Amino acid sequence: MEATRPPARQSRIIDGREVAFDEEGFFDDFEQWSMKCCEILARESGILHLEERHRRVIHFLRQFYEYNARAPLNKELRQGTGLSLLEMERLFPQGIKNGARRLAGLPNPKTCN
Amino acid sequence: MGKTQLRINGVEHAIEADKNTVLLDVLRDELRLTGAKQSCDQKGQCGACTVLVNGKAVRSCLSRVARLNGADIITVEGLGTPDNPHLIQEAFVLAGAVQCGFCTPGMIMAAKALLDENPNPDKDEIKNALRHNLCRCTGYKKIIEAVQLAGRFLRGETTPDAVRPTAAQGMIGVSHPRPSAMAKACGTAKFTADYEVEGALELAVLRSWMPHARIAAVDTAEAEKMPGVAGILTAADVKGTNILKYLVADRPVLCRDEVRYIGDPILAVAAESRQQAAAALEKVHVVLEPLPTLDDPHAAMAPDAPQLHSEFTNLCYNQPQIKGDAQAALQTAAAVVEARFQTQINHQAPLEPEATVALWEKDEAGDEDQLVIFGRSINIHYHLGMLQGALGWENMRYVEAFSGGQFGIKIDVISEGIAGAAAIHFKRPVRYIPGLAESMLMTSKRHAFDMQVKLAADRQGNLTAFFNDMVVDNGAYYSIGHVVVYRALQMLSGSYNIPNVNARGRLVYTNNPWGSAARGAGPPQANFALECAMDMLAEKLGMDPFEFRMRNILKPGQTKSTGQVVAEWPLPELMEAIRPHYDRAVKEAAAASTAKIKRGVGIGTGSFGIGGPNDASVAAVELDDDGGISIFAAAADPGEGNDSMLTQLTAEFMQIPLEKVRLNTRDTINTAASGPAAGSRITYMIGGALINALEQLKAAMQSTGAESGPAIEAAGQPRRFVGRKKTETGPLDPETGQGPSFESQVHAVQLVELEVDTETGQVRVLKMTTAVDAGPVIHPQNLTGQLEGGMDMGVGFALREEYIAGETRDWKTFKFPTLAHHFDMEVIIRETPRPNGPLKVTGVGEMCMVPTAPAVINAINNAVGVWVCDLPATPEKIKAALAG
Repeated sequence: MEATRPPARQSRIIDGREVAFDEEGFFDDFEQWSMKCCEILARESGILHLEERHRRVIHFLRQFYEYNARAPLNKELRQGTGLSLLEMERLFPQGIKNGARRLAGLPNPKTCN
Repeated sequence: MGKTQLRINGVEHAIEADKNTVLLDVLRDELRLTGAKQSCDQKGQCGACTVLVNGKAVRSCLSRVARLNGADIITVEGLGTPDNPHLIQEAFVLAGAVQCGFCTPGMIMAAKALLDENPNPDKDEIKNALRHNLCRCTGYKKIIEAVQLAGRFLRGETTPDAVRPTAAQGMIGVSHPRPSAMAKACGTAKFTADYEVEGALELAVLRSWMPHARIAAVDTAEAEKMPGVAGILTAADVKGTNILKYLVADRPVLCRDEVRYIGDPILAVAAESRQQAAAALEKVHVVLEPLPTLDDPHAAMAPDAPQLHSEFTNLCYNQPQIKGDAQAALQTAAAVVEARFQTQINHQAPLEPEATVALWEKDEAGDEDQLVIFGRSINIHYHLGMLQGALGWENMRYVEAFSGGQFGIKIDVISEGIAGAAAIHFKRPVRYIPGLAESMLMTSKRHAFDMQVKLAADRQGNLTAFFNDMVVDNGAYYSIGHVVVYRALQMLSGSYNIPNVNARGRLVYTNNPWGSAARGAGPPQANFALECAMDMLAEKLGMDPFEFRMRNILKPGQTKSTGQVVAEWPLPELMEAIRPHYDRAVKEAAAASTAKIKRGVGIGTGSFGIGGPNDASVAAVELDDDGGISIFAAAADPGEGNDSMLTQLTAEFMQIPLEKVRLNTRDTINTAASGPAAGSRITYMIGGALINALEQLKAAMQSTGAESGPAIEAAGQPRRFVGRKKTETGPLDPETGQGPSFESQVHAVQLVELEVDTETGQVRVLKMTTAVDAGPVIHPQNLTGQLEGGMDMGVGFALREEYIAGETRDWKTFKFPTLAHHFDMEVIIRETPRPNGPLKVTGVGEMCMVPTAPAVINAINNAVGVWVCDLPATPEKIKAALAG
């Protein structure tokens, strides 16, 4: 019998640098992120151009994580960016977690893996 | 219903109670005296609810209030407070007898009754007086010592001030009282079930009584009409995905149309009281149509076996490990042993049952209300994310209550899902406080391993090859699944240099209880096989098992089974440290054996990896206004003493008093997402991130000369810094199992001395000695406390404990270790610095039971010449082996 394997971690060369991702495609290391990297990942996810509001969300997420070492709740994100959740969901079609947080390079909380 | 007059902690109460009301319910539910704990479903098995009634120690869960008229009752709250503790409470704290603290109030009250009558009890008198009280953390040694110390206090021979360490003794290597210990000793530390919430609904949950079935019909009409019922919660009512995804999305909050193990949740009744919820649950009618049951992982791998989950094959993980050429080495070996080793499904057995309280907090910003989960999580940030997805509610936070032990069981979400879903559905606060029997049904278990092993050596006694084909019963849901197999492979060659390895770990879904983390998570099972095979091979070679091990210990520069080269391996020194004890034990065993009672000596080693590949942690620190340091890190502390670790590391590194270190570790809203309290990683990983943050802060303080928060900000630097700790990345190769392993190892050797009754098969452990090297010791009592508790747990795993679904329902049927099983324990400490550890230290929490089971089984063989390789080694199995 062939075993089903759970999703694996992976690393990719992006913008000339090796970047490690977890099983869900989130950055393994917050510090491996760059705006260039973010733009490439955004294009892959269907966001062809990062406009000012995208960048506002991404910068807030990174600043918040840098200070708190955790991801913000949506209400904190809303308060920090001045954007409504609906606006942010339109900006990031994959959603706040799988879209914005992933593109901003916020790692998932660590677990056993 | 009549009134009973009680004097409780000096205050008169007229209690209205019917003839069945027990004192524990009055204390906890009516008077909110939550120091007395409930663990054993009011069967009088655990003693956590012990109070004094007219000066006698009484289990309040067995004591009918109606028979207590005029009684004088003292609870732990009446004994002392954190500001003004009783000498016995001081003694428990100073002796290091308080770990998780759940058993502590009951222990203290039993000790009070004893010491009131007999201020100078001997060890046997203490064991007898506390015989009804269970503890999972300590192995009872420090509890006995605490009662002895309390006796010395009460007799005026010494004082707490004389015993309590001072700042002048330093911060590292000194057992300063744990920050949380006194609150636990005084009963003021709040465990989950201690949270009362105004207007909260209570839940009763219907769980599957079949291992595999289709939910054919559900009729709740009658239940919904029962008094106090707010409603019924089913899978259809869960707003989110209804799936608690840890690594794989397979476990429902509530089952929709199929149940996959005995205990799978089907629906919940919410009512105004526990009793009303339970009564209504009796009126629910559910029809289960049995489906074929997969109770054996080998059968589940058969080509025609039904597939348990549509998205995954039953064989859900398969990882080989190939190092060198084991087959060729086998053919030229001078000696080979071959055996099958099996370990049981086991319960981690924290004394506190599973529990969740979910309540609502108004959102000041006008957003949707915030759902607050109080529970026993050891990874609050990860669990928060799981719950947000499963329940479809984003504005949520998780608060870790004090936790009555966990030993891996809380690596995953358990009761939080149902409690949270009910709170959202009914828009009410909810308490879900299941009893022990239900808690045992719902929680994860230690994976059962079935291992076919061959171990080979050359004529000189050098190991040449190791085969281990492991089939691991994953049970019904994945949880941490492959991590257990992975860890077993990463540590497969244990302490030894084995040039050729051929192994495979297969993980298989079955309809057994779902496996997950359990102290050690994989290596205790795999090491059991290796260490017993070591004794078998030594015997075949005619070598002493001690010398055989010495010969084969891995040396720096050699490789583990993963191919990882080790830079340090300070195990030979530990072996030498324990050698005199081994020699003595062997001599004494030969002299003490009789025709009926045979004494045996066994050893086992363990080399347990910490800081595995792809691990990362974060911790934040802030310089406070007064120059103190606040730490913000989700470092769960279900009893190990992580509060001591964080506090003492910080005090040492920053050279500040302990009182100026402030911990924020329990709430997702103000902590860094530091990762789980698992894999013995807290000291190494979170401690590492903490030191990294403190290094940044210290540099900023030195560059500015600032010594307080306002001063450093005035100097243009932040007062807050986030520290990180990362390990090497990369998985084991999927074909060869070669690749990165652990940054650090903790090593141990354990020596067991025991007696076997050749007529009954009964085993009595006399003494265990552990020699350990976990680097420089931060807090000696916490370290030895882990080792003593681990030895006790390991012996239970080896000889008695087993979880059998549908049969194991309380501490008696589980065969929980009691004071009657207590044996002498000794710990020998060596402190080789670990270059990558915070202040050169590493962890210890799980290693302490890794060598235990094989040491016990080796000692049984040494005593009576039979191998029992199917755990637990019960008297029946030993008798059967002796017979034939």
